[in-house]
This record gives sequence, structure tokens and C-alpha cells, in this order.
Amino acid sequence: MKTRNECREWRELLGAYALGHLEGDERAGLEAHLEGCAGCREELAALTPVAQMLPHADPARFGPAPQPPPELGQRIAATIAAEEQRTQRRQRRRLLGGFAFGGAAAAVAAVLLLFVFGGSSDQKPVQQVRFADLPEGISIDATLEPHAYGTEIHMYVHGVPSGTLCKVWLRGPKGVSYPAGTFRYRWGDDSDAVLSSALDLSRTRAVVVDTGRRTFAAPVNSPAAALDIAHEEEPT
Amino acid sequence: MIQLGNSTRGALSRERDVREAYAAHSGELYGFAVRSLGDSGLAEEAVQETFVRAWRAGDRFDPKIGSLRTWLFAILRNVVIDLGRARAVRPSVAEGGVEPAVEPLDEALQAWQMEEAMRRIGEDHRRVLVETYYRGRPYAEVAGELGVPEGTVKSRVYYGLRALRVVLEEMGYED
Repeated sequence: MKTRNECREWRELLGAYALGHLEGDERAGLEAHLEGCAGCREELAALTPVAQMLPHADPARFGPAPQPPPELGQRIAATIAAEEQRTQRRQRRRLLGGFAFGGAAAAVAAVLLLFVFGGSSDQKPVQQVRFADLPEGISIDATLEPHAYGTEIHMYVHGVPSGTLCKVWLRGPKGVSYPAGTFRYRWGDDSDAVLSSALDLSRTRAVVVDTGRRTFAAPVNSPAAALDIAHEEEPT
Repeated sequence: MIQLGNSTRGALSRERDVREAYAAHSGELYGFAVRSLGDSGLAEEAVQETFVRAWRAGDRFDPKIGSLRTWLFAILRNVVIDLGRARAVRPSVAEGGVEPAVEPLDEALQAWQMEEAMRRIGEDHRRVLVETYYRGRPYAEVAGELGVPEGTVKSRVYYGLRALRVVLEEMGYED
């Protein structure tokens, strides 16, 4: 039976031994000790793989590790946030029936009116509205959902100057406007602005967006009426 | 394997979780990316792609299988391979049919692990390992330079290797 102190003396030689640095009497003595000491053999077995890994490392690289630039974290957060918004928007479109509508409006002179209904009959009919005949680079889309309180509006705006204050109304029969609220367009923000108005969707004739310099309108429910409104509201 | 961080199932599915994971592991991931890609710009790209992929696959992360750190390193390893392939798409490389091999990357990972472990152990321990092992200097000479008995240099080599072992285990290394 070895004493604890004797063991410790031998044990502290195990590092040099594992590195192949021990010679002569010390080496012979340690090997004799190892033969009779399972604890020290176990310790050696734990150190050997570490010693074997040493040649992989380059001692010139033991200095301070390079650090990522401070803005990398923010960049990643922004990338993820943008992707999440895109995903939500895609999911929303899928919910609306898989209809895809893109960014820049094609040079369509006519005002487009689109009715999109949910896949199953128990879903509420959601209307998708596209603002056509917009200046190049600007796109405005909206979806309208009927609710007991009125209409829920999702607005997607692109291409107006960042920071633009947008005011939205729903226009009812006889040209009466119901405010739906305001939002600010920020460059790079892909998310939709969620607004609501007290006007019932069934009575809504148009969606009107005032971007400060220009007012745009898109017809709802009645293509004929819509054309008039669009005409009336175009460039102020 | 030692678990690092407060990992829970689907640990990266929310933006806040990604921020926490970033705070805990970005330094190491970046260090390895620089080590294996040899370029800080590419390394940033690799780390960004790693966290974005981790976030996308956030629901699939299971802490019962491995630590968040290990998972992130596995993703980074794939990203580095992809970036290596993208760089290798050049006529000269295609002619020889040289595919960026996985082997050198694993070597780079081992090297980086050891270098990172060396950074984490105490200066006294690192010093004797550098002098005796990497520089191959006699123990007596190192002892004289440090003003300590030769036996102390030997015991520091021993405790240095032990410390390396503990650090490597913390980093997820297994024999």
C-alpha cells in the first residue's frame, strides 16, 4: 500500500513522463511505481490523449484569440428579424390562398381588383387589393379582413422615402371616408402595417393611402366605382 | 460532455435566444472560423450563417443529445465546408478534381481546440509547456530562468496537462 505523499511525488512526474521527457532513474522509478499503482496508471491514461493532442497546436497562436467585430451580433439579429418578417408575410399570403403578388407593379394602366377567398367555406373571405398604376419603384398592396367591429387592414408599402408618414382610410358608399390610422414606412422593413377601420368590408368601396406628397386609392368590391375613385384620387 | 448555457428544447427559435447564444459562443465560433478559413471577412460570414441556420433549425435542437455549443460547432463546420467549396469552384481546382477534404478541417478543429485550451489555462502552466514541449528546452534551463526548482517545472507540466484536460472536457472534447 502506497502512502498518499509517495504517490503524489510520483504523480507529479506523470506530465513529463507523458511527454517523453523523463529519463534514467526517475523514469525507471516511476515505471516501477506505475506497475503497482492503479491510481497513477489511471491518471496517466487520462493525460496521454492530451499529450498526444499537443502537436496539433501552433504555439504562435496561444496569444489572445481574434474577436468578432462588435456589429456582427447586430447584423445577425437584423438578418434574422428580416427573415422572420418575410416568413410571416409568406405565411399570411399562403393563408390568403397562395396568391402571389410581387413588388414592382407591372405597367398595368387598368386598376386591378382581386377577390381572394379562403380555401374552405368556413373561412372568412379576405380581400386582396392591389394598387395599380403607381409611379415606378413604388408598390402598395393591402389585404382586408371582415370583422364584427369593421375591417382589419394589412398594408405593404415599398419604395416611398424611408420615414414617410402614411395615412389610410376606407371609403364607403357616397364617398364617406372612415379613418384606418397611420403608419410610417421604414426602408428595409418588410413587415406589414396592421390597421383597422370601423367601416364594414361589405360597404367598403376603396382603400385610400396618403403618403404626404401623393394620395393613392384602390377599389374594393366594385370595379366600376373604383375606376372613378382612382381617377379622382390620382396625383394631387 | 459538459453542458454549457441554459439550453432548452428549441433553444434558438426566438430572436432573444439567438442573442443569448451569440453572447455565449460567438467568440469561440469566430476564433475557429478565422483559424480554419484564414480570413476575418469570411469568418464573419461563416458565423452569421451559422446563427441564421441555427435559428432556422431552432426547433430541432435537443439538449439531451448534446450541448448548444457542440450543436453550433457542428453547424459552423458545415458552413466552413460550404464556404470552402464555394471558394474551390475555380477551373484550376476543378481540373485536378480536388474537393476540399474534410480531413484538414477536422485537423483545424483539433488545432483550434488545443490552442483555445492553451489560452484558457494559467500562464505558469502554459509557459512551462511552451518552453519544455514546443521549444524542447531542458527542464533545468527553464527552472533556472524561472527561478524555481526543476521539480517545480515538472509538477507544473503535470498540472498544466491536467488543466488542459479539464478545459478540453468543458469544450466538449471526448477521448
